[in-house]
Amino acid sequence: MRGAPELSLGFLVNNNSAGGIGPAIQGTLILIGFTSLFGIPIGILSGIYLAEFGNNKYATAMRSINDVLTEFPSIVVGITAYGVIVIAIIGHYSAIAGSIALSFILIPIVARTTEESLKLVPNSVREASLALGAHKWRTTLSVVLPTAKAGLLTGTLLAVARIAGETAPLIMTILGNRYFFQGLNQPMAALPLEIWRDSLQPQASLVAQGWGAALILILMVLSLNIIVRLATRGRLKR
Amino acid sequence: MSRIIDRGLEDQSVLIVRMGELTYETLALSIHGYIEGKSVQAQVRELSDILLSMAEKVEDQTFQLIARFQPVATDLRTIKSYMKIGNDFARFGRYAFDISFINDQLSGLKQCEDWTRDYVSEMSEKVLSMVKLSIDSLKKQDIILAKTISESERQVDKMYLEYLHNLINGEHPNSKCVISSALMTRYLERIADHATYICESIVYIVTGEKVALG
Amino acid sequence: MTSTNNDQTTTVDPEMKMQSIDLNAWFGQKKALRNVNIGIKTNSVTAIIGPSGCGKSTFIRCLNRMHELTPNAKMTGQVLLDGQNIYDKQVDPVQVRRRVGMVFQKPNPFPTMSIYDNVAAGLRLTGTKKGKNLDEVVKQSLERATLWEEVKDDLKKPGTSISGGQQQRLCIARAIALQPEVILMDEPCSALDPIAAAKIERLVVELKRDYTVAIVTHNMQQASRVSNFTAFMYLGSLIEFGSTTDIFESPKNPLTEKYITGEFG
Repeated sequence: MRGAPELSLGFLVNNNSAGGIGPAIQGTLILIGFTSLFGIPIGILSGIYLAEFGNNKYATAMRSINDVLTEFPSIVVGITAYGVIVIAIIGHYSAIAGSIALSFILIPIVARTTEESLKLVPNSVREASLALGAHKWRTTLSVVLPTAKAGLLTGTLLAVARIAGETAPLIMTILGNRYFFQGLNQPMAALPLEIWRDSLQPQASLVAQGWGAALILILMVLSLNIIVRLATRGRLKR
Repeated sequence: MSRIIDRGLEDQSVLIVRMGELTYETLALSIHGYIEGKSVQAQVRELSDILLSMAEKVEDQTFQLIARFQPVATDLRTIKSYMKIGNDFARFGRYAFDISFINDQLSGLKQCEDWTRDYVSEMSEKVLSMVKLSIDSLKKQDIILAKTISESERQVDKMYLEYLHNLINGEHPNSKCVISSALMTRYLERIADHATYICESIVYIVTGEKVALG
Repeated sequence: MTSTNNDQTTTVDPEMKMQSIDLNAWFGQKKALRNVNIGIKTNSVTAIIGPSGCGKSTFIRCLNRMHELTPNAKMTGQVLLDGQNIYDKQVDPVQVRRRVGMVFQKPNPFPTMSIYDNVAAGLRLTGTKKGKNLDEVVKQSLERATLWEEVKDDLKKPGTSISGGQQQRLCIARAIALQPEVILMDEPCSALDPIAAAKIERLVVELKRDYTVAIVTHNMQQASRVSNFTAFMYLGSLIEFGSTTDIFESPKNPLTEKYITGEFG
């Protein structure tokens, strides 16, 4: 509510120095987009493997690692990314480091929700397909996945909404930036960071800006949730 | 373990055995009446009617059991055979009545010579014992006992044919005797046949095999 | 004439569309089938009856190589289809399942597909739809499954929007669309009401004209109504096999007698 007064086009689009959070919005979108582009497919494929083909010890090991990762405090992810990527590999704060850090949060969640959604598909459906003489991969692709679509979609979008709001990993990796996107290799702005930083500032105007950023972030997450609801309503008509 | 159908089967069994005993009584009464020249028509008629209605009851209960319980295997063979046996018993009742009828109408063996009387008497006793045997093996579901009827059946058939030959060769001047004894021996022979059928049914119930004991 | 397990021949019988020879099966350590020798005669309906746990479902799942899909499942012995062992090393189980179709206890149409798509699913999923007029195939299959009249105006509706009995006929149509040679049915009526079940039973009797049918059922009256041959199984073994009239009028094995007259089961 406190953020509402701040909303104006200028606020959204201008960069920091001009009293806007444009870079933060852009940064968040780039971050989410990039992370999802690589993270979602990997997560879904892992989930499929675990659910449909994972009856061996490799799968069990993978599942355990996955479970641990989902429980990881995000600050730990952040610090690890800092140590490994920012310091060791790249050498400085950058957007890509943030993306990698976030993917470590995204992928385990997507994998787990995918696995669980697929497990919810009754075995009778698989058997029906196999009994017709369909190959296992074909069964998974054409029968099991479509049946689990609703769950997959929900899980994925909620995971994305989650990383949209992650602050801690970003602190250590992308640092934040007053300016618009300057390349994946460079520090970048993001909404959670913006909120966090602004709220700690003494100036009232900056705090207000923080509220505005918070509102924007909430609206983004909310719309994602609404999209999920709308998209799955059709599917759930059983 | 007792099943729902067991009660119905038990009722059927009790009815059939009672019928068997009544049948024997009826036949014995009528046959002895004929041999000894006593008139028993009214009594026999009454008994025969009772047997007819009992046979109907057996038939009704059979169809009820089939409709309600869809019996299979031994149960099915039992039910099917009981119905047949019930009809056989009712038929015995009719023969008994027929015998008492010719006894009255044709004065039985009164017009016949002694040797005829002895012959028919011997044949009658044999047939009566066959009927008794069939009822006993039914009661005990004893197929070994049932199979022993073959011998008697052969003997009775032989006796009947022999007697017919005698008649054809004109051993009796008295036509009343001829007709009366011909009919009587004919009835006796048929009674023997049906007693044999009853024993065949018992073998069928127990083993599922359809045998010919004649 | 019925025979007990000892008499069953283990030589190849050309009259049999399918034949199991010394079939043994396990779930892990638990033995589910013991030396089962059963022949399924071409263009007939063979019923497999027996109390729960006797192995009848396991048996027919060995006939289309579905048994091996269960983790820790094992089998030994042979299963012949037209004289060829379907468990030979060079035989592809997927190909077997296209020739030997299956209908399950609980109707399982694909939930995300329409009625039309369900029937066509077999062809699409196995990549055998080339050169076929799908509309024709769908119509014919639904007709053979006696479902066409009831759904011909609703082909786009979801497969799960019809009643249980109709869903089961849909599953039968789906299986038939692939033109299998054998249709295996695992208690296809047990989840249905009596009227729907009766429709399926009539269908089964008709199907034997063009297919060979093996049906597992725990309903003995159903077995005696629809089948030409009956196999009685108990604790994983075949106890008795024979024509249905013989088995139900004069079974040879006392255990068979006990089971079909309801003394246990």
